[in-house]
Amino acid sequence: MYSVEADNLIKRYGSSEALRGVSFKVSEGEIFGIIGPDGAGKTSIFRILTTLILPDGGSARVLGFDVVRDYHEIRRRVGYMPGRFSLYQDLSVEENIRFFATLFGTTLEENYDLVKDIYSYLEPFRKRKAGALSGGMKQKLALSCALIHRPDVLFLDEPTTGVDPVSRKEFWTMLRRLKAQGLSIVVSTPYMDEATLCDRIALIRKGIFLDTDTPADIISKFTLPLLAVSGSRMPSLLRDIRRIPQVFSCFAFGDTHHVVMRPSDLSLDAQINLLNTSLHAKGHSDLSIKPARPNVEDCYMYLDTLEEQS
Amino acid sequence: MTVMGRMKDFKRFMSFVGKEFNHILRDTRTLMVLIVMPVVMIVLFGFALSTEIKDVKVAVYDPSRDAATSRLVSQIDASEYFTVTAFLDGEDGVLDAFRSNSADIALVFEDNFYHRAVHDGDGRLQIIVDGSNTNIGSMAVFYVSSIVSSFQKELAQEAALNQSSAGGSSVDSVSPVTISTSTRMMYNPQMKSAFNFVPGVMGMILMLVCAMMTSVSIVREKERGTMEVLLVSPVKPFSVILAKAIPYFVVSAFILLIVLCLSVFLIKVPISGSLMWVVLVSLLFILVSLSIGILISTLVSKQEVAILISGMVLMLPTMLLSGMLFPIESMPKVLQWVSYCVPAKWYIDSIKVMMIQGLGIRYCLDAVLILCGFLTVITGLSVFKFKDRL
Amino acid sequence: MSRGENTRKRIRELLGREDDHFLLEGEVIRTEGLTKCFGDFTAVDHISFSVNKGEIFGFLGANGAGKTTAMKMLCGLSKPTGGRAVVAGYDLQYNWEVKRLKKVIGYMSQKFSLYEDLRVWENIRLFGGIYGMKDHDIAEKTEELLQRLDLMEQRDRMVRDLPLGWKQKLAFSVAIFHEPRIVFLDEPTGGVDPATRRGFWEMIYDAAERGITVFVTTHYMDEAEYCDRVSIMVDGRIEALDSPAALKQRYGASGMDEVFRMLAGRAKREE
Repeated sequence: MYSVEADNLIKRYGSSEALRGVSFKVSEGEIFGIIGPDGAGKTSIFRILTTLILPDGGSARVLGFDVVRDYHEIRRRVGYMPGRFSLYQDLSVEENIRFFATLFGTTLEENYDLVKDIYSYLEPFRKRKAGALSGGMKQKLALSCALIHRPDVLFLDEPTTGVDPVSRKEFWTMLRRLKAQGLSIVVSTPYMDEATLCDRIALIRKGIFLDTDTPADIISKFTLPLLAVSGSRMPSLLRDIRRIPQVFSCFAFGDTHHVVMRPSDLSLDAQINLLNTSLHAKGHSDLSIKPARPNVEDCYMYLDTLEEQS
Repeated sequence: MTVMGRMKDFKRFMSFVGKEFNHILRDTRTLMVLIVMPVVMIVLFGFALSTEIKDVKVAVYDPSRDAATSRLVSQIDASEYFTVTAFLDGEDGVLDAFRSNSADIALVFEDNFYHRAVHDGDGRLQIIVDGSNTNIGSMAVFYVSSIVSSFQKELAQEAALNQSSAGGSSVDSVSPVTISTSTRMMYNPQMKSAFNFVPGVMGMILMLVCAMMTSVSIVREKERGTMEVLLVSPVKPFSVILAKAIPYFVVSAFILLIVLCLSVFLIKVPISGSLMWVVLVSLLFILVSLSIGILISTLVSKQEVAILISGMVLMLPTMLLSGMLFPIESMPKVLQWVSYCVPAKWYIDSIKVMMIQGLGIRYCLDAVLILCGFLTVITGLSVFKFKDRL
Repeated sequence: MSRGENTRKRIRELLGREDDHFLLEGEVIRTEGLTKCFGDFTAVDHISFSVNKGEIFGFLGANGAGKTTAMKMLCGLSKPTGGRAVVAGYDLQYNWEVKRLKKVIGYMSQKFSLYEDLRVWENIRLFGGIYGMKDHDIAEKTEELLQRLDLMEQRDRMVRDLPLGWKQKLAFSVAIFHEPRIVFLDEPTGGVDPATRRGFWEMIYDAAERGITVFVTTHYMDEAEYCDRVSIMVDGRIEALDSPAALKQRYGASGMDEVFRMLAGRAKREE
């Protein structure tokens, strides 16, 4: 049985279409990532699956229950962490978690083993008001609160947005541990580097999925030649590379520029030579041009550009 | 449902109530405003009362000019509250005295006052009040009446002495000496007075605390996103809202207690009717206001809107149309009908009847029943309107 | 020497305070032992660094490391409790200098940038007006800006109707509309799609080439690589400050995220 099945979900707000037919399945014990920018429709998917809003088309089942008809059953069995920090800022850490425990008819003590890993970070600050916690701590508290009733599926809407890289990494380690305990997790993020931490991902753009697959398979579908270029004057290098006609796209990528070449019969070495000569002609020195391995962000930008052009 | 299940539900509900109390008690600033505001309002009115009743200007029309009337007039003049400023030549002079502002109240004695008071047992004294000065109005009447009645006792004792020295009976069974006073309000026949503000202030404060605070606190959960989490939980959403109402009910009851105490001990509003009924009807009104707050919260999703609706749409009619500031009887018909839809009008009406006029619950049963009607309809509406999705 | 600097000099003379040349040639920000305490909690603990004119300076740190507090002080929003900082020639310990400082800096954050219920051109005019630009200049520069951002046809649209990516670009343009000497960017690219994020950085490069110093915080570590120099704050102190390449070399890391994790992972205080 699938933990989540979404079939051609459609959601409209007035005249704008937030979701234009989204389908996917999440298996038991899987981490499924929905990757894309703000406004792409991620939150609408989460709200439909957590029975907060009704879809305008299509259907969805969570743990086998229909999101429209059996919403009471779903609400008993899922954990949800909305995009915004949704705890009581004027209540203390402990009051928050105890409140959510009673909400689900359980106690902190009863399910302590499940949240222990996460809550142990928070215990020194038990008495502190939730509003006074830092971003990473708030996120851990929200996760503890979403977990306190042993849900079967966890919905996490952008849990790591605005959180520093260290806390983000810790957070993903926690998710892997929860997965190991058999929990299914649906998580969204705008950080492409987190995609590889999911079992399967969907790239979302303007209400549709560009692709749904394992991160490795998504990357393996990227077959165009990709080059990493760096030089002494990076900003002007970027502009000059884009002016070369054989270049499909060029984006800054950390300390190099990632250059996607248009499909051609040229070998990779020939393409590197081509870049090298035309950039030298424009006065760039200290050039380093190497083949690069694409990552999820390259794939997203490539699919995005294709979609934009069509 | 099993007993265990019910226990769990109850525990869950109580943890909600506890959380709401935490919210309210930790927002000390708002709580202080809620408690200090009614105190300030009541104290202000009380303060205004106790200062302005000094040196009320009294005009006298005394055609009989006998021993009794001149004694009574000089007693009134001697009191710290009154100064006799004019002796009029005729009843018509009263209006002129009011207009020229040389008098606030006028005493009109009948012809042959002493004789009629002592022998016929019916000395008539009319107190005419310039009602345009609302603060003075009823207090002045109250004080004049008390001076008159003590004077009446004096007369009676004297008459008794006279009789007993003539070989008569005991003091108590003396032939009645009666001065009957009748009061006429000019310009403001409803006798709007500071006393009447007390029910008005009560209505306003309770409406404000219950309706505004409840709606704002529910809408805040929507705005902060916590409602989202509550909805995605097995808890029945309506019990979330009910749990919000309880702490505000308690706070309101506390404020009611303060207002009542201040009214009785500071301004000395005579609660002449049944205190129990005053409290019960107030609690009923608190429930009505809470239900209005809940209804608002189901309709809007922004705190500002909730404040605006409860502020403008509830407070203004409460102040303007409930008879608190302006007498409803003198409003255009349309506004009168509108005022019937303002719950506070019915509450203030019934409190006036019980607190100020000192009548029993019988005399405001219709208003109380109408409040019950409001409660049923509004609660029904908000249950109907409540969505258990976003 | 500009008119502003002359005035500053005059005022300093009047106050009997010599310019001690704290700010070195080519620098726009210099701090020495800058500290901010809240009660007995030291949010920013004696930080000393300098930022050069026209530089893109990445200001990194974990949540709660003191970044925001430090940035607030440099923008003149919060008074230091210790140490000294001179920003764009203005000394933060004197209120009258802080007032003038605000005219020569720009600020943009992810949370507050533009008024959603105003039109594109209304937002531009508003911010131009706030910084005391002349109407004539505003009109001229508005045209130029709209053309450059390709927003000519959107000029009458409400900002809330623009896609997020455009909003961010417009917000940045508005923040540097009055040609500030320094622009402070607080997580400017949060939630934006990868292509727009890069487009945004290209705008940052343009601004830096025009001589505007860019002071930026971010949680995207690939963006840290785009900076000329980055500092990493840990527990209220600056733990490392150098160019990304030098930092990676020093810590033997392949990317800035590794450097960041090595340094920020040492944090002892939790908040």
